[in-house]
Amino acid sequence: MTLKEVYNGRSVEEVVGLLGEYGNGAKLISGGTDIVIELKNKKITPKILIDISKIEELKEIREDENYITLGSGVTFTEIIENPLFSGNLHGLYKACRMVGSPQIRNKGTIGGNIANGSSAADGVPPLIALGATIKTLSIEGTREIPLEDYYIDKLKSNEIIIEVKFKKPNNNQILTFAKLGLRKALAISRLSIASLIGLNEEGIIESVTIASGALGKYPMREEEVEEYLINKKIDEKIIEEAITTLQNSMDERLKGRSTLPYKRVAVSSILRENLEELIKSRIEVEAW
Amino acid sequence: MVNISLTVNEELFEVSVREDLRLIDLLRDELGLIGTKEGCGEGECGACTIIMDGETVNSCLVMAFQANGSNILTIEGMEKEGNIHPIQQAYIDVGAVQCGFCIPGMVLSTKALLDKNPHPSKEEIREGISGNLCRCTGYNKMIHATEKAMEYMEEGK
Ligand SMILES: Cc1cc2nc3c(=O)[nH]c(=O)nc-3n(C[C@H](O)[C@H](O)[C@H](O)COP(=O)(O)OP(=O)(O)OC[C@H]3O[C@@H](n4cnc5c(N)ncnc54)[C@H](O)[C@@H]3O)c2cc1C
Ligand code: FES
Ligand code: FES
Repeated sequence: MTLKEVYNGRSVEEVVGLLGEYGNGAKLISGGTDIVIELKNKKITPKILIDISKIEELKEIREDENYITLGSGVTFTEIIENPLFSGNLHGLYKACRMVGSPQIRNKGTIGGNIANGSSAADGVPPLIALGATIKTLSIEGTREIPLEDYYIDKLKSNEIIIEVKFKKPNNNQILTFAKLGLRKALAISRLSIASLIGLNEEGIIESVTIASGALGKYPMREEEVEEYLINKKIDEKIIEEAITTLQNSMDERLKGRSTLPYKRVAVSSILRENLEELIKSRIEVEAW
Repeated sequence: MVNISLTVNEELFEVSVREDLRLIDLLRDELGLIGTKEGCGEGECGACTIIMDGETVNSCLVMAFQANGSNILTIEGMEKEGNIHPIQQAYIDVGAVQCGFCIPGMVLSTKALLDKNPHPSKEEIREGISGNLCRCTGYNKMIHATEKAMEYMEEGK
Protein backbone atom coordinates (compact mmCIF):
# COMPACT_ATOMS: atom_id res chain seq x y z
CA MET A 1 0.00 0.00 0.00
CA THR A 2 1.41 3.34 -1.02
CA LEU A 3 -1.13 5.48 0.79
CA LYS A 4 0.57 6.50 4.04
CA GLU A 5 -1.63 9.22 5.47
CA VAL A 6 -5.09 10.62 4.98
CA TYR A 7 -6.53 13.89 6.22
CA ASN A 8 -10.07 15.14 6.74
CA GLY A 9 -9.47 18.71 5.58
CA ARG A 10 -11.30 21.21 7.77
CA SER A 11 -10.42 24.50 6.13
CA VAL A 12 -8.89 25.72 2.89
CA GLU A 13 -6.02 27.19 4.88
CA GLU A 14 -5.18 23.82 6.42
CA VAL A 15 -5.35 22.09 3.02
CA VAL A 16 -3.08 24.67 1.37
CA GLY A 17 -0.57 24.10 4.16
CA LEU A 18 -0.66 20.35 3.65
CA LEU A 19 -0.29 20.70 -0.12
CA GLY A 20 2.65 23.05 0.43
CA GLU A 21 4.31 20.52 2.67
CA TYR A 22 3.70 17.38 0.62
CA GLY A 23 3.27 18.76 -2.91
CA ASN A 24 3.80 15.99 -5.45
CA GLY A 25 3.05 13.10 -3.11
CA ALA A 26 -0.36 14.45 -2.11
CA LYS A 27 -3.72 14.32 -3.86
CA LEU A 28 -7.00 16.00 -3.06
CA ILE A 29 -10.21 14.01 -2.98
CA SER A 30 -13.57 15.73 -3.25
CA GLY A 31 -16.59 13.74 -4.44
CA GLY A 32 -14.33 10.80 -5.26
CA THR A 33 -16.28 9.86 -8.39
CA ASP A 34 -13.19 10.04 -10.59
CA ILE A 35 -10.34 9.50 -8.19
CA VAL A 36 -11.49 6.45 -6.20
CA ILE A 37 -11.49 4.34 -9.37
CA GLU A 38 -8.01 5.65 -10.27
CA LEU A 39 -6.76 4.75 -6.79
CA LYS A 40 -8.31 1.32 -6.98
CA ASN A 41 -6.77 0.60 -10.38
CA LYS A 42 -3.43 2.06 -9.18
CA LYS A 43 -3.49 4.52 -12.04
CA ILE A 44 -2.28 7.00 -9.45
CA THR A 45 -0.40 6.16 -6.27
CA PRO A 46 -0.27 9.16 -3.95
CA LYS A 47 1.22 8.89 -0.47
CA ILE A 48 -1.14 11.41 1.06
CA LEU A 49 -4.85 11.87 0.42
CA ILE A 50 -6.64 14.99 1.62
CA ASP A 51 -10.43 15.00 1.74
CA ILE A 52 -11.95 18.40 0.97
CA SER A 53 -15.59 17.28 0.68
CA LYS A 54 -16.61 18.60 4.08
CA ILE A 55 -15.13 22.09 3.82
CA GLU A 56 -18.11 24.44 4.00
CA GLU A 57 -16.37 27.43 2.42
CA LEU A 58 -15.95 25.43 -0.81
CA LYS A 59 -19.67 24.65 -0.98
CA GLU A 60 -21.01 28.17 -1.40
CA ILE A 61 -22.94 29.47 -4.39
CA ARG A 62 -22.77 33.28 -4.36
CA GLU A 63 -24.50 35.83 -6.51
CA ASP A 64 -23.82 39.54 -6.64
CA GLU A 65 -24.95 42.20 -9.06
CA ASN A 66 -22.70 41.09 -11.90
CA TYR A 67 -21.19 37.71 -11.07
CA ILE A 68 -22.04 34.21 -9.97
CA THR A 69 -19.41 32.27 -8.02
CA LEU A 70 -19.49 28.53 -7.48
CA GLY A 71 -17.31 27.03 -4.77
CA SER A 72 -15.25 24.15 -6.17
CA GLY A 73 -17.02 21.74 -3.79
CA VAL A 74 -20.50 22.49 -5.17
CA THR A 75 -22.06 19.27 -6.44
CA PHE A 76 -24.03 18.77 -9.65
CA THR A 77 -27.14 18.14 -7.53
CA GLU A 78 -26.67 21.47 -5.73
CA ILE A 79 -26.48 23.27 -9.08
CA ILE A 80 -29.57 21.52 -10.42
CA GLU A 81 -31.58 22.35 -7.32
CA ASN A 82 -30.61 26.02 -7.30
CA PRO A 83 -33.14 28.30 -9.04
CA LEU A 84 -30.29 30.57 -10.22
CA PHE A 85 -29.60 28.16 -13.05
CA SER A 86 -32.91 28.43 -14.80
CA GLY A 87 -33.87 31.09 -17.34
CA ASN A 88 -30.98 32.14 -19.55
CA LEU A 89 -28.53 29.95 -17.59
CA HIS A 90 -30.53 26.84 -18.42
CA GLY A 91 -27.58 25.41 -20.37
CA LEU A 92 -25.59 24.97 -17.17
CA TYR A 93 -28.52 23.29 -15.46
CA LYS A 94 -28.94 20.97 -18.42
CA ALA A 95 -25.26 19.99 -18.51
CA CYS A 96 -25.24 19.13 -14.80
CA ARG A 97 -28.58 17.37 -15.04
CA MET A 98 -27.20 15.06 -17.73
CA VAL A 99 -24.21 13.93 -15.67
CA GLY A 100 -24.12 10.26 -14.67
CA SER A 101 -26.81 9.16 -12.25
CA PRO A 102 -28.40 10.70 -9.13
CA GLN A 103 -25.70 9.06 -6.99
CA ILE A 104 -22.90 10.49 -9.15
CA ARG A 105 -24.51 13.96 -9.18
CA ASN A 106 -24.89 13.91 -5.38
CA LYS A 107 -21.14 13.48 -4.94
CA GLY A 108 -19.44 14.75 -8.10
CA THR A 109 -18.29 18.36 -7.82
CA ILE A 110 -17.69 21.10 -10.32
CA GLY A 111 -14.12 21.52 -9.02
CA GLY A 112 -13.41 17.81 -9.49
CA ASN A 113 -14.92 17.94 -12.97
CA ILE A 114 -12.53 20.73 -13.96
CA ALA A 115 -9.46 19.43 -12.09
CA ASN A 116 -9.76 15.91 -13.44
CA GLY A 117 -9.02 17.36 -16.85
CA SER A 118 -11.13 15.04 -18.98
CA SER A 119 -11.90 16.34 -22.45
CA ALA A 120 -15.46 15.07 -21.92
CA ALA A 121 -16.19 16.86 -18.63
CA ASP A 122 -19.77 18.05 -19.05
CA GLY A 123 -19.60 20.96 -16.63
CA VAL A 124 -16.75 22.60 -18.50
CA PRO A 125 -18.13 23.68 -21.94
CA PRO A 126 -20.99 25.77 -20.46
CA LEU A 127 -18.54 27.46 -18.09
CA ILE A 128 -16.08 28.17 -20.90
CA ALA A 129 -18.91 29.59 -22.99
CA LEU A 130 -19.75 31.86 -20.04
CA GLY A 131 -16.14 33.07 -19.96
CA ALA A 132 -15.58 31.65 -16.48
CA THR A 133 -12.33 32.02 -14.58
CA ILE A 134 -11.08 29.74 -11.84
CA LYS A 135 -9.34 30.87 -8.70
CA THR A 136 -6.63 28.70 -7.22
CA LEU A 137 -4.73 28.96 -3.99
CA SER A 138 -1.32 27.67 -2.92
CA ILE A 139 1.32 28.73 -0.41
CA GLU A 140 2.66 30.92 -3.20
CA GLY A 141 -0.60 32.84 -3.39
CA THR A 142 -3.74 33.00 -5.53
CA ARG A 143 -4.05 32.75 -9.29
CA GLU A 144 -7.00 33.55 -11.51
CA ILE A 145 -6.99 31.57 -14.74
CA PRO A 146 -9.53 31.78 -17.55
CA LEU A 147 -11.06 28.31 -17.65
CA GLU A 148 -10.37 28.01 -21.37
CA ASP A 149 -6.63 28.36 -20.64
CA TYR A 150 -6.71 25.91 -17.76
CA TYR A 151 -5.87 22.94 -19.97
CA ILE A 152 -2.72 24.61 -21.22
CA ASP A 153 -1.76 26.39 -18.01
CA LYS A 154 -2.31 23.39 -15.77
CA LEU A 155 -2.89 23.20 -12.04
CA LYS A 156 0.30 22.82 -9.99
CA SER A 157 0.56 19.98 -7.52
CA ASN A 158 0.43 22.37 -4.56
CA GLU A 159 -2.68 24.23 -5.77
CA ILE A 160 -6.32 23.82 -4.89
CA ILE A 161 -9.16 25.21 -6.99
CA ILE A 162 -11.22 27.42 -4.70
CA GLU A 163 -13.97 28.63 -6.98
CA VAL A 164 -15.15 29.24 -10.50
CA LYS A 165 -16.72 32.57 -11.35
CA PHE A 166 -18.54 34.00 -14.34
CA LYS A 167 -20.31 37.17 -15.36
CA LYS A 168 -24.09 36.90 -15.46
CA PRO A 169 -25.34 36.88 -19.04
CA ASN A 170 -27.26 39.90 -20.31
CA ASN A 171 -31.00 39.61 -20.74
CA ASN A 172 -30.65 39.04 -24.47
CA GLN A 173 -28.07 36.25 -24.06
CA ILE A 174 -29.02 32.61 -23.72
CA LEU A 175 -26.79 29.71 -22.69
CA THR A 176 -27.64 26.41 -24.37
CA PHE A 177 -26.11 22.95 -24.09
CA ALA A 178 -26.46 19.66 -25.88
CA LYS A 179 -24.73 16.35 -25.46
CA LEU A 180 -24.68 13.36 -27.67
CA GLY A 181 -26.92 10.42 -27.16
CA LEU A 182 -30.08 9.60 -25.38
CA ARG A 183 -30.06 10.67 -21.79
CA LYS A 184 -28.89 7.26 -20.75
CA ALA A 185 -28.16 7.52 -17.10
CA LEU A 186 -24.57 6.42 -17.16
CA ALA A 187 -23.08 7.23 -20.52
CA ILE A 188 -20.11 9.51 -19.97
CA SER A 189 -20.50 12.15 -22.61
CA ARG A 190 -18.30 11.76 -25.62
CA LEU A 191 -19.39 14.94 -27.30
CA SER A 192 -20.97 18.12 -26.06
CA ILE A 193 -21.40 21.75 -27.10
CA ALA A 194 -22.44 24.78 -25.10
CA SER A 195 -23.11 28.20 -26.54
CA LEU A 196 -23.78 31.62 -25.13
CA ILE A 197 -25.44 33.72 -27.78
CA GLY A 198 -26.89 37.21 -27.64
CA LEU A 199 -29.53 38.17 -30.17
CA ASN A 200 -30.82 41.67 -30.86
CA GLU A 201 -34.46 42.49 -31.63
CA GLU A 202 -34.02 41.58 -35.30
CA GLY A 203 -32.65 38.14 -34.39
CA ILE A 204 -29.12 39.08 -35.37
CA ILE A 205 -26.31 37.48 -33.40
CA GLU A 206 -24.58 40.24 -31.46
CA SER A 207 -22.34 38.12 -29.28
CA VAL A 208 -21.35 34.47 -29.44
CA THR A 209 -19.09 32.10 -27.55
CA ILE A 210 -19.20 28.40 -28.30
CA ALA A 211 -17.30 25.71 -26.42
CA SER A 212 -17.05 22.02 -27.16
CA GLY A 213 -16.24 18.97 -25.08
CA ALA A 214 -14.45 15.94 -26.53
CA LEU A 215 -13.90 17.49 -29.96
CA GLY A 216 -10.23 17.84 -29.16
CA LYS A 217 -7.70 17.00 -26.47
CA TYR A 218 -9.60 19.17 -24.02
CA PRO A 219 -12.75 21.30 -23.91
CA MET A 220 -12.18 24.37 -26.09
CA ARG A 221 -13.65 27.43 -27.77
CA GLU A 222 -14.84 26.90 -31.33
CA GLU A 223 -13.65 30.22 -32.69
CA GLU A 224 -14.19 29.52 -36.38
CA VAL A 225 -17.87 28.86 -35.80
CA GLU A 226 -18.11 31.94 -33.62
CA GLU A 227 -16.53 34.04 -36.38
CA TYR A 228 -18.95 32.60 -38.89
CA LEU A 229 -22.02 33.28 -36.75
CA ILE A 230 -21.32 36.80 -35.51
CA ASN A 231 -23.60 39.46 -37.03
CA LYS A 232 -25.66 36.87 -38.90
CA LYS A 233 -29.40 36.51 -38.61
CA ILE A 234 -30.11 33.07 -37.33
CA ASP A 235 -32.09 30.82 -39.71
CA GLU A 236 -31.97 27.31 -41.16
CA LYS A 237 -29.37 28.12 -43.81
CA ILE A 238 -27.07 29.72 -41.24
CA ILE A 239 -27.39 26.69 -38.97
CA GLU A 240 -26.34 24.41 -41.85
CA GLU A 241 -23.36 26.63 -42.67
CA ALA A 242 -22.33 26.79 -39.01
CA ILE A 243 -22.32 22.99 -38.90
CA THR A 244 -20.15 22.81 -42.02
CA THR A 245 -17.75 25.35 -40.50
CA LEU A 246 -17.44 23.26 -37.36
CA GLN A 247 -16.91 20.08 -39.38
CA ASN A 248 -14.15 21.77 -41.33
CA SER A 249 -12.31 22.80 -38.18
CA MET A 250 -12.67 19.24 -36.89
CA ASP A 251 -11.22 17.79 -40.10
CA GLU A 252 -8.15 19.86 -39.40
CA ARG A 253 -7.94 19.05 -35.70
CA LEU A 254 -8.75 15.35 -35.78
CA LYS A 255 -7.00 14.49 -39.03
CA GLY A 256 -6.25 10.77 -39.24
CA ARG A 257 -8.17 9.87 -36.10
CA SER A 258 -10.44 6.87 -36.34
CA THR A 259 -13.18 8.74 -34.46
CA LEU A 260 -13.37 11.57 -36.99
CA PRO A 261 -16.06 10.23 -39.36
CA TYR A 262 -18.32 9.45 -36.42
CA LYS A 263 -17.74 12.75 -34.67
CA ARG A 264 -18.32 14.69 -37.90
CA VAL A 265 -21.84 13.30 -38.14
CA ALA A 266 -22.58 13.46 -34.43
CA VAL A 267 -21.54 17.06 -34.08
CA SER A 268 -24.13 18.25 -36.57
CA SER A 269 -27.01 17.19 -34.37
CA ILE A 270 -25.62 18.69 -31.19
CA LEU A 271 -24.73 22.06 -32.71
CA ARG A 272 -28.16 22.09 -34.33
CA GLU A 273 -29.78 21.35 -30.96
CA ASN A 274 -27.93 24.31 -29.40
CA LEU A 275 -29.04 26.73 -32.09
CA GLU A 276 -32.61 25.47 -32.26
CA GLU A 277 -32.88 25.72 -28.49
CA LEU A 278 -31.70 29.30 -28.79
CA ILE A 279 -34.46 30.10 -31.28
CA LYS A 280 -37.02 28.36 -29.12
CA SER A 281 -36.01 30.16 -25.92
CA ARG A 282 -36.15 33.44 -27.77
CA ILE A 283 -39.71 32.74 -28.85
CA GLU A 284 -40.56 31.84 -25.26
CA VAL A 285 -38.99 35.03 -23.96
CA GLU A 286 -40.98 37.08 -26.47
CA ALA A 287 -44.17 35.37 -25.42
CA TRP A 288 -43.75 36.56 -21.81
CA MET B 1 -4.46 3.12 10.25
CA VAL B 2 -6.72 6.10 10.88
CA ASN B 3 -9.32 6.51 13.61
CA ILE B 4 -12.76 7.66 12.54
CA SER B 5 -16.18 7.84 14.08
CA LEU B 6 -19.40 7.57 12.15
CA THR B 7 -23.05 6.82 12.74
CA VAL B 8 -24.45 3.84 10.89
CA ASN B 9 -28.13 3.01 11.23
CA GLU B 10 -28.35 5.23 14.29
CA GLU B 11 -25.49 3.50 16.05
CA LEU B 12 -22.19 5.30 16.72
CA PHE B 13 -19.05 3.46 15.66
CA GLU B 14 -15.46 4.36 16.55
CA VAL B 15 -13.22 2.37 14.25
CA SER B 16 -9.66 2.24 13.07
CA VAL B 17 -9.48 1.78 9.29
CA ARG B 18 -6.79 1.30 6.70
CA GLU B 19 -6.04 4.46 4.75
CA ASP B 20 -6.95 2.86 1.42
CA LEU B 21 -10.18 1.22 2.54
CA ARG B 22 -13.35 2.15 0.69
CA LEU B 23 -16.60 2.80 2.53
CA ILE B 24 -18.22 -0.31 1.02
CA ASP B 25 -15.43 -2.46 2.49
CA LEU B 26 -15.81 -0.81 5.89
CA LEU B 27 -19.54 -1.52 5.88
CA ARG B 28 -19.33 -5.09 4.63
CA ASP B 29 -16.04 -6.43 5.98
CA GLU B 30 -15.53 -4.48 9.20
CA LEU B 31 -19.09 -3.79 10.34
CA GLY B 32 -20.59 -6.96 8.86
CA LEU B 33 -23.38 -5.08 7.07
CA ILE B 34 -23.42 -7.29 4.01
CA GLY B 35 -26.82 -6.09 2.76
CA THR B 36 -24.89 -3.49 0.75
CA LYS B 37 -23.72 -5.21 -2.44
CA GLU B 38 -20.76 -4.65 -4.71
CA GLY B 39 -21.49 -5.09 -8.41
CA CYS B 40 -19.22 -3.13 -10.69
CA GLY B 41 -17.05 -1.27 -8.17
CA GLU B 42 -17.01 1.69 -10.59
CA GLY B 43 -20.10 3.77 -9.94
CA GLU B 44 -22.11 2.24 -12.77
CA CYS B 45 -24.54 -0.22 -11.21
CA GLY B 46 -25.74 1.30 -7.93
CA ALA B 47 -25.78 -2.02 -6.06
CA CYS B 48 -23.63 -0.38 -3.37
CA THR B 49 -26.00 2.58 -2.88
CA ILE B 50 -26.35 3.85 0.68
CA ILE B 51 -27.74 7.07 2.11
CA MET B 52 -24.94 9.28 3.45
CA ASP B 53 -25.87 12.54 5.18
CA GLY B 54 -29.30 12.46 3.56
CA GLU B 55 -28.26 11.66 -0.02
CA THR B 56 -27.72 8.50 -2.01
CA VAL B 57 -24.11 7.77 -2.87
CA ASN B 58 -22.25 4.84 -4.37
CA SER B 59 -20.29 3.48 -1.40
CA CYS B 60 -17.73 1.96 -3.81
CA LEU B 61 -16.69 5.54 -4.72
CA VAL B 62 -16.26 6.85 -1.18
CA MET B 63 -13.12 6.30 0.89
CA ALA B 64 -13.82 5.01 4.40
CA PHE B 65 -11.95 7.90 6.06
CA GLN B 66 -14.17 10.38 4.23
CA ALA B 67 -17.12 9.05 6.23
CA ASN B 68 -15.61 10.43 9.43
CA GLY B 69 -18.44 12.31 11.17
CA SER B 70 -21.06 11.13 8.68
CA ASN B 71 -24.49 9.71 9.25
CA ILE B 72 -25.15 6.61 7.18
CA LEU B 73 -28.21 4.51 6.45
CA THR B 74 -27.83 1.06 4.92
CA ILE B 75 -30.53 -1.43 4.03
CA GLU B 76 -30.18 -3.02 7.49
CA GLY B 77 -31.30 0.26 9.05
CA MET B 78 -34.61 0.31 7.16
CA GLU B 79 -36.10 -2.17 9.59
CA LYS B 80 -37.76 -0.68 12.67
CA GLU B 81 -38.64 -2.78 15.75
CA GLY B 82 -38.62 -5.98 13.77
CA ASN B 83 -40.78 -4.58 10.97
CA ILE B 84 -39.51 -3.97 7.49
CA HIS B 85 -40.06 -0.55 5.94
CA PRO B 86 -43.24 0.07 3.88
CA ILE B 87 -41.03 0.51 0.80
CA GLN B 88 -39.60 -2.97 1.32
CA GLN B 89 -43.10 -4.36 1.90
CA ALA B 90 -44.26 -2.77 -1.35
CA TYR B 91 -41.33 -4.27 -3.27
CA ILE B 92 -42.31 -7.71 -1.98
CA ASP B 93 -46.04 -7.23 -2.55
CA VAL B 94 -45.77 -6.25 -6.21
CA GLY B 95 -43.14 -8.93 -6.92
CA ALA B 96 -40.36 -6.50 -7.77
CA VAL B 97 -37.71 -8.78 -6.27
CA GLN B 98 -36.20 -11.52 -8.40
CA CYS B 99 -32.58 -12.45 -7.65
CA GLY B 100 -32.50 -9.55 -5.19
CA PHE B 101 -28.97 -8.35 -5.86
CA CYS B 102 -29.96 -4.83 -6.89
CA ILE B 103 -32.73 -4.47 -4.32
CA PRO B 104 -30.90 -2.98 -1.30
CA GLY B 105 -29.57 -0.16 -3.47
CA MET B 106 -32.87 0.20 -5.31
CA VAL B 107 -34.83 0.47 -2.04
CA LEU B 108 -32.48 3.15 -0.70
CA SER B 109 -32.76 5.15 -3.92
CA THR B 110 -36.54 4.86 -3.61
CA LYS B 111 -36.38 6.08 0.00
CA ALA B 112 -34.19 9.06 -0.89
CA LEU B 113 -36.58 9.94 -3.70
CA LEU B 114 -39.71 9.75 -1.53
CA ASP B 115 -38.01 11.70 1.30
CA LYS B 116 -37.39 14.58 -1.10
CA ASN B 117 -40.52 14.24 -3.19
CA PRO B 118 -43.40 12.29 -1.54
CA HIS B 119 -45.51 12.27 -4.73
CA PRO B 120 -43.21 11.67 -7.68
CA SER B 121 -44.56 11.14 -11.20
CA LYS B 122 -43.67 7.96 -13.11
CA GLU B 123 -40.99 9.91 -14.94
CA GLU B 124 -39.55 11.17 -11.64
CA ILE B 125 -39.51 7.65 -10.23
CA ARG B 126 -37.71 6.37 -13.33
CA GLU B 127 -35.15 9.14 -12.93
CA GLY B 128 -34.82 8.53 -9.17
CA ILE B 129 -33.79 4.91 -9.72
CA SER B 130 -31.83 5.54 -12.91
CA GLY B 131 -28.52 4.95 -11.14
CA ASN B 132 -29.54 1.43 -10.11
CA LEU B 133 -29.23 -1.32 -12.66
CA CYS B 134 -31.28 -4.52 -12.48
CA ARG B 135 -30.52 -7.50 -14.71
CA CYS B 136 -33.67 -9.41 -13.81
CA THR B 137 -36.71 -7.15 -13.99
CA GLY B 138 -37.69 -4.46 -16.43
CA TYR B 139 -37.90 -1.58 -13.89
CA ASN B 140 -41.69 -1.35 -14.31
CA LYS B 141 -42.08 -3.42 -11.16
CA MET B 142 -39.92 -0.96 -9.25
CA ILE B 143 -42.08 1.91 -10.44
CA HIS B 144 -45.16 0.02 -9.40
CA ALA B 145 -43.56 -0.80 -6.04
CA THR B 146 -42.75 2.85 -5.46
CA GLU B 147 -46.34 3.83 -6.15
CA LYS B 148 -47.55 1.15 -3.77
CA ALA B 149 -45.05 2.36 -1.15
CA MET B 150 -46.51 5.86 -1.49
CA GLU B 151 -49.93 4.40 -0.64
CA TYR B 152 -48.62 2.42 2.33
CA MET B 153 -46.79 5.43 3.71
CA GLU B 154 -49.92 7.63 3.41
CA GLU B 155 -52.02 5.00 5.17
CA GLY B 156 -49.42 4.67 7.89
CA LYS B 157 -49.77 8.35 8.77
C1 LIG C 1 -20.53 6.14 -13.39
C2 LIG C 1 -19.95 7.50 -13.65
C3 LIG C 1 -20.61 8.36 -14.53
C4 LIG C 1 -20.08 9.63 -14.78
N1 LIG C 1 -20.74 10.44 -15.67
C5 LIG C 1 -20.21 11.65 -15.97
C6 LIG C 1 -20.85 12.49 -16.93
O1 LIG C 1 -21.91 12.16 -17.49
N2 LIG C 1 -20.26 13.69 -17.21
C7 LIG C 1 -19.11 14.09 -16.60
O2 LIG C 1 -18.64 15.19 -16.89
N3 LIG C 1 -18.49 13.32 -15.69
C8 LIG C 1 -19.00 12.11 -15.37
N4 LIG C 1 -18.35 11.30 -14.47
C9 LIG C 1 -17.06 11.75 -13.91
C10 LIG C 1 -17.11 12.47 -12.54
O3 LIG C 1 -18.30 12.19 -11.84
C11 LIG C 1 -16.99 13.98 -12.68
O4 LIG C 1 -15.83 14.31 -13.39
C12 LIG C 1 -16.98 14.73 -11.32
O5 LIG C 1 -17.23 16.08 -11.53
C13 LIG C 1 -15.69 14.57 -10.53
O6 LIG C 1 -15.80 15.33 -9.33
P1 LIG C 1 -15.39 14.72 -7.92
O7 LIG C 1 -15.64 15.75 -6.90
O8 LIG C 1 -16.03 13.41 -7.71
O9 LIG C 1 -13.81 14.52 -8.16
P2 LIG C 1 -12.76 13.59 -7.43
O10 LIG C 1 -12.85 12.22 -7.94
O11 LIG C 1 -12.83 13.79 -5.96
O12 LIG C 1 -11.42 14.27 -7.95
C14 LIG C 1 -11.07 14.24 -9.32
C15 LIG C 1 -9.70 14.90 -9.51
O13 LIG C 1 -9.78 16.30 -9.25
C16 LIG C 1 -8.90 16.69 -8.19
N5 LIG C 1 -9.63 17.71 -7.43
C17 LIG C 1 -10.91 17.60 -6.94
N6 LIG C 1 -11.29 18.76 -6.38
C18 LIG C 1 -10.26 19.63 -6.54
C19 LIG C 1 -10.05 21.00 -6.17
N7 LIG C 1 -10.99 21.72 -5.55
N8 LIG C 1 -8.86 21.58 -6.49
C20 LIG C 1 -7.90 20.87 -7.13
N9 LIG C 1 -8.04 19.59 -7.51
C21 LIG C 1 -9.19 18.98 -7.20
C22 LIG C 1 -8.58 15.43 -7.45
O14 LIG C 1 -7.31 15.48 -6.84
C23 LIG C 1 -8.63 14.40 -8.56
O15 LIG C 1 -7.42 14.38 -9.24
C24 LIG C 1 -18.87 10.04 -14.16
C25 LIG C 1 -18.24 9.19 -13.25
C26 LIG C 1 -18.75 7.92 -13.00
C27 LIG C 1 -18.06 7.01 -12.03
S1 FES D 1 -20.64 -1.43 -7.02
FE1 FES D 1 -20.76 0.66 -6.64
S2 FES D 1 -21.86 1.35 -8.33
FE2 FES D 1 -21.53 -0.72 -8.84
S1 FES E 1 -33.65 -8.44 -9.05
FE1 FES E 1 -31.89 -9.38 -9.87
S2 FES E 1 -30.66 -7.67 -10.37
FE2 FES E 1 -32.50 -6.79 -9.82
